[in-house]
Amino acid sequence: MQDSSEQHETAPTTWTVDDVDVEFLPLIYEIIRSLEKDPHDNAQKSRDSLDTTQKILELQRKLEKAREQIRKLPGIEYNTEEQLKQLDVLRNQLRLKRELLHKYRNMCSFEIPKA
Amino acid sequence: MANISTVEKLISLIDDIELISKEILENTIAMKHQKLAGSEQVQLTELLVAKDNELKATLERAREQARVELKMDALRGEVERQDCHIRNLQRQLKEAEQILATAIYQARQKLASIAKANKRPVPSEDLIKFAHRISSSHAVCAPLTWQQGDPRRPYPTDIEMRQGLLGRLSNLPLVPQPGLADLSGLPPGAEPAVSTQNQFSWHPSGDLHMNVPGQGSVAMETRNHKTEAEDVEVMSTDSSSSSSSDSQ
Repeated sequence: MQDSSEQHETAPTTWTVDDVDVEFLPLIYEIIRSLEKDPHDNAQKSRDSLDTTQKILELQRKLEKAREQIRKLPGIEYNTEEQLKQLDVLRNQLRLKRELLHKYRNMCSFEIPKA
Repeated sequence: MANISTVEKLISLIDDIELISKEILENTIAMKHQKLAGSEQVQLTELLVAKDNELKATLERAREQARVELKMDALRGEVERQDCHIRNLQRQLKEAEQILATAIYQARQKLASIAKANKRPVPSEDLIKFAHRISSSHAVCAPLTWQQGDPRRPYPTDIEMRQGLLGRLSNLPLVPQPGLADLSGLPPGAEPAVSTQNQFSWHPSGDLHMNVPGQGSVAMETRNHKTEAEDVEVMSTDSSSSSSSDSQ
């Protein structure tokens, strides 16, 4: 994690969903199109083949990058229900702590243990 | 399946998309006879599009979760702040308890001594009398103007030592000191031993004066006979010490 953050110094400190590039379909479509092309010219064929290989590699890179970026997204370690449950737990905790503080502050008598 | 986290779901969707796209691409470059049927290819493509849609929907959910996460962060900060307050308050309460416990312990001691005093009360008159006796006879320290030869001394004087428990323990007659036996019976101020010693008194000039009844004080020549004057002093202490050795 640290290494990757050092590599991308310009990367935002908190990633959002908008930062994740998941536009795979156009690239896949382009690859299929270039595969389906059947040029008669051999030079053109080898050029297209090289181009297709590049695009496939690009797709792979894009998929890998999307995986990396998704792992950096905040708050998705749990699914929605669990997250909401956690939120509830936190709210409850805060309420209890506030109550405890209130109790402490309004305590007017001390119980002294009998020696 | 329902329990997997959103991040796991997103990753698995991307894996699925990768697999399906690989399948489609392989099918595209496959030989004609190895190719999948058209319907299967359509199904694959539809599946790819469905997975893509699902991925986008899940990303939307992730966006929502990020918003919730922000709220949770705020809550966590607040909880941490409350924790800090609670810890501070607990520390202060502990300190207060300690101070109060000390105060109560001291108060109990005081109450005990009050109870003790109530059990055996001493009349204030007696106290004042005793205090007067101590202070009037320079019992605790010598008077400020004390000089050599001054018979006034802090307690205990030789006489009082004899009167004390130790003196009585020896249980021997206290003969050598005249008037000692009836000393306690005498009114304060009429101390015979002191009055006899008061015959000699040192004046600030350094001269030795002798109180002669009827003639006031007579200055004695001491400058040339200093040793003699000292002898007098030594003798007076000697007499008491010798008498005490006698009594033993």
